Amino acid sequence: MSVTILELDGLSKSFDKQSAVSDVSISVQKGEFIALMGPSGCGKTTTLRMIAGLDAPTEGQIRIWGRDVSQDAPWRRDTPLVWQSYALFPFMSVRRNVEFGLKQRGMIAKDRTVKADEWLERMGIAAFAERMPHQLSGGQRQRVALARALATEPELLLLDEPLSALDPHLKVSMQTELVRLHRELGITFVCVTHSHSEAFAMADRVVIMDKGTVQQIGAPQQIHRRADNRFVAEFLGASNILDVKVLYADASGVAADSAIGRLSTQAPALKPVQVGEALSLVVAMDRVEIARSLSGAVNQVPGRIAMMEVMGASITAIVETEGGVTLRSQLSSRDIESNPLAVGDTVVASWDPASAYFVAH
Amino acid sequence: MMSQKHASYRADKRRFAVLIGAPSLIWQLVFFLLPLLFLVMMTFWSVRNFRLQPDFTLANWTMILNAGFFRSAYLYTFSISMITAAIAAVAAFPVAYLISFRLSPAAQRMLMGLLVIPFFTSLPVRIYSMQIFFSPSGLINSALIGVGLSPITVLNTPVGALVGYLTLTMPLVILLQIFALNGVDRQLVEAAHNLRCGKFRTVISIIIPSARVGLVISFAMAFVFAFGDYISPQFLGGSNPPTLSILMADQVKSGNHWPRASVVAMTMIFTLMAMMGLLLKFAYGRSGR
Repeated sequence: MSVTILELDGLSKSFDKQSAVSDVSISVQKGEFIALMGPSGCGKTTTLRMIAGLDAPTEGQIRIWGRDVSQDAPWRRDTPLVWQSYALFPFMSVRRNVEFGLKQRGMIAKDRTVKADEWLERMGIAAFAERMPHQLSGGQRQRVALARALATEPELLLLDEPLSALDPHLKVSMQTELVRLHRELGITFVCVTHSHSEAFAMADRVVIMDKGTVQQIGAPQQIHRRADNRFVAEFLGASNILDVKVLYADASGVAADSAIGRLSTQAPALKPVQVGEALSLVVAMDRVEIARSLSGAVNQVPGRIAMMEVMGASITAIVETEGGVTLRSQLSSRDIESNPLAVGDTVVASWDPASAYFVAH
Repeated sequence: MMSQKHASYRADKRRFAVLIGAPSLIWQLVFFLLPLLFLVMMTFWSVRNFRLQPDFTLANWTMILNAGFFRSAYLYTFSISMITAAIAAVAAFPVAYLISFRLSPAAQRMLMGLLVIPFFTSLPVRIYSMQIFFSPSGLINSALIGVGLSPITVLNTPVGALVGYLTLTMPLVILLQIFALNGVDRQLVEAAHNLRCGKFRTVISIIIPSARVGLVISFAMAFVFAFGDYISPQFLGGSNPPTLSILMADQVKSGNHWPRASVVAMTMIFTLMAMMGLLLKFAYGRSGR
């Protein structure tokens, strides 16, 4: 049974007539982990700031538990934020930082010290209670920031790029910890990030934004399987995107002409398409297979290996085709062991028509 | 090898910094420090027949430090300077807050420009115009009489001096506080709001502690300026009671007694150094836990 805690309804924001967010509508369920993701300037941070009341929407409503809070001052809302740069008060000890929100609620000194210490304990930084923020490492500061935001036991926690200021090795462990914390607390997290690996690893649902508008909302797997439009496919960066022209379309699939010959899919188009219409064909890189010779199946493109990019356990073969189009095929190291490839090899790239789809241009 | 190269690069950078910093330092050395040392020396000289004589006597020190008129002047100067600094620092804050936190950058620049204007006209000119303003038949009293109130006496009272001191220090204090407040991390203010801290409480618990050093320095500068000012107590305070600066001038005017004037000057310098030391220690000191 899902209950809506937060609703953004037609939310828009302009700064000096420059639109930053336009007509964003999202509804967030209680206990959900939502990631707002997009390139810088896409409006994700402005959206988060509007939820916290730090920026006022030009249009639209923000409802928390059904009540419109869009005109409420930030200090009247219960939407603590974990800041990208932590924003710890430098002239207060760690404990006093964590106590700050409790103090504003009128909790007496003794109680709030107990409460603050509980959270410091929980975040594994009880030993640093007396320290000043500048005496802590980035990871420790992050924990203080989380403890400070969570000490008042909110139902909704906002996170602005919570991992971007951390060292790479800390990022992964903090990511795991955020997911664990989210599960244990059962509260709603709204997290802004520009990194899709972070968003996809942590969130229940991801909101992809560009130029102030929502491009797609969905579970990570769902978005990964099928992008709604070319921007999303490009932004995720894990697909080949080809310009094509529709030859025919019916319920069983679409066939199209491209610079590298005739290509087809078995998935019907999301929207009705016209013969002759220009579309983009999206094929996930990990769906592109590499063979040594043509076998007569559909979607086979001959080419030559131009480069092999090694990224840990996966290897991307970059195939230059005769049509001048570059295809990327993501292979595992096991694939390479069974079928060794080298730069300069003549190969055939292919994919199953069921794994490709068309999006609007 | 590498570290040596690095060290020589650093030494190079330091040499460059010393080179460009040297002229101003030398200037200060020649025109401030040397005369100051001369002043110290002169406190031990004597005056015979209105003429300075090199000597080594403690007479000037014992005479001045034991004189009742010096002690009362010292107490008065110190208190009125403290009062000036306190009033200026408190009264300037809302203005500085408004300019730093609530105005657009363009309005901010314009107001800061206006605040510099008082420094364009010299204080005597400003004070002279205020004298006319406050005189028994001046603008203020004419207005008061005009609406049927009794005239007030400001000129030649400590209140008159205070008005002069505040006029002298206020623009500087406001400017220093604007700089102090501009240095406050705006994100901390937002973070406080985000943790349910309202506007007023945020000023008290976040903005003032963040700007602490600059705010204390603005207070210190007001104290320094008031403590050494000669014009306000002379022309608006009517040199009654006298301040240390007036006392110093009197020593020279009445008996050409430069050594005694130097002793007074030395006590002023010590006081200012001690005050600055204490205030800076307070400013940079650890705040609470």
